[in-house]
Amino acid sequence: MVEPCAEVAGAARTFRGGAGVHGVDLQIAAGEIHALVGLNGAGKTTLMRLMLGMLRPDSGEVRICGIPLTELPDRAWADVGHLVEQALAYGELDARTNLVLSARLHGATRVAAHAMAERAMEELDLGRYARVRGRRLSLGNRQRLGLAAALQHDPHLIVLDEPTNALDPAGVILLREALLRRARSGAGVLVSSHHLDEVARIADRISVMNNGRIIGTLDPGTIDLERAFFSLVRSDDAGGGSR
Amino acid sequence: MNTLAIATAVEGRKALASRMVPWTSGILVVGLAALTGGLLAAAAAGDQRVLARLGPLAEAHGWELLVGTAAQILAAGGFGACGILIAWLYGREFVDGTVAGLFALPVRRSSLAVSKLIVFLAWALVMAGALAILLWIIGSAAGLLVSDPGNARQLLRIPLLMLLTACLAVPAGWIASVARSILAGIAATIVLLILAQVSAILGVGAWVPLVAPALWAIAPDAVPWPALLAVLTVPVVFGSAIAVTWSRLQLES
Repeated sequence: MVEPCAEVAGAARTFRGGAGVHGVDLQIAAGEIHALVGLNGAGKTTLMRLMLGMLRPDSGEVRICGIPLTELPDRAWADVGHLVEQALAYGELDARTNLVLSARLHGATRVAAHAMAERAMEELDLGRYARVRGRRLSLGNRQRLGLAAALQHDPHLIVLDEPTNALDPAGVILLREALLRRARSGAGVLVSSHHLDEVARIADRISVMNNGRIIGTLDPGTIDLERAFFSLVRSDDAGGGSR
Repeated sequence: MNTLAIATAVEGRKALASRMVPWTSGILVVGLAALTGGLLAAAAAGDQRVLARLGPLAEAHGWELLVGTAAQILAAGGFGACGILIAWLYGREFVDGTVAGLFALPVRRSSLAVSKLIVFLAWALVMAGALAILLWIIGSAAGLLVSDPGNARQLLRIPLLMLLTACLAVPAGWIASVARSILAGIAATIVLLILAQVSAILGVGAWVPLVAPALWAIAPDAVPWPALLAVLTVPVVFGSAIAVTWSRLQLES
């Protein structure tokens, strides 16, 4: 059996006040785009933080390529790319330098890092901003820069939180193509999104989160995805969930 | 893959491109030159308030007067500059929101934290040399190479004081990391500065690392060399604390 790129098993992390994630199971298979949808505060970002070691679970486990996060060798992170919250873009550095430094932090040699940065700028149409400092970029172009940094080293596992935030329609298409290309090459992709139409276009699997739990899945081919989504959420809310 | 070397290269590149490093360096150099020159000019003109502030130094001449005056200013002003810079180096990742991007990397966060400290100490080393050269230029312009050539070695106190002062500012980096705030690190710098100055005035022993460099700046003979070496425990202890803090970091909000 092929190991999933990432697996979350019974992961829980509860914050003061009760918010957080409460016993989530999730798998991201190689070559699959897995979308995570849910209302604000459903726990999507917290789940992604748990997967990336930004938070330690109160219980449960996260495994990358079958290895628990607590035992994952440092070098294994070179095969992970992520954009959760703000982009790793320093205002004093231009777009090219930001990408080169990000590639270096992912373990690329100096020469390889420059080549990666050039390819990434081409892929996300950032070439004209190569010499523009991060602080002068628009919000949308900073988001493109963050996405380029997350994708440029062709990671085996990609985790993106609301990646279409602030992107213009051209940026959304570029991102969609970039993710589909990587999934076809065998990468496992987890994206959270509020945009159900966009999710339906690229996702192989859609998991719905509500109140810190996965409450069901949606078929990306569903004609009225929005209705199906709200039906699941309302049904969970009406049942009181597991709160 | 030498991750510490990569982290240091990345942090060095960020520091070189920043506005913070050149501004802090410039203010320290210009400020030290202006204040030292101003104080010495006032003392030469017989200003009683300035002579009183200089204390035993008022009786000194030549290089000893120049270096002693600059050392007093550097012990306080240099500490402020060091504290602000190290607070920014660590706190900026939280303020700029870039800290999330420093997770899930093959380069450990503890390595990134240590590399920031390496960059900070490298900056202090450069400043140590620059300030010594600056005072040599001021002294030469004042004719001290002719009037007091035998005491030019006094200048060696300046780079040593700069490095010791930088070592004492490392706790501000730890506070900025724990509080996730540049301002908290700056506040810690101010508190430490006041503590050091008050302790020096009260005559607290030269063996207290926080006091030793400032005391040494005022009265070099009052502080034994081993007491100055003891200052090195501060960056070791607080540098380790910073590495542990960054290693155990979680992003709760």
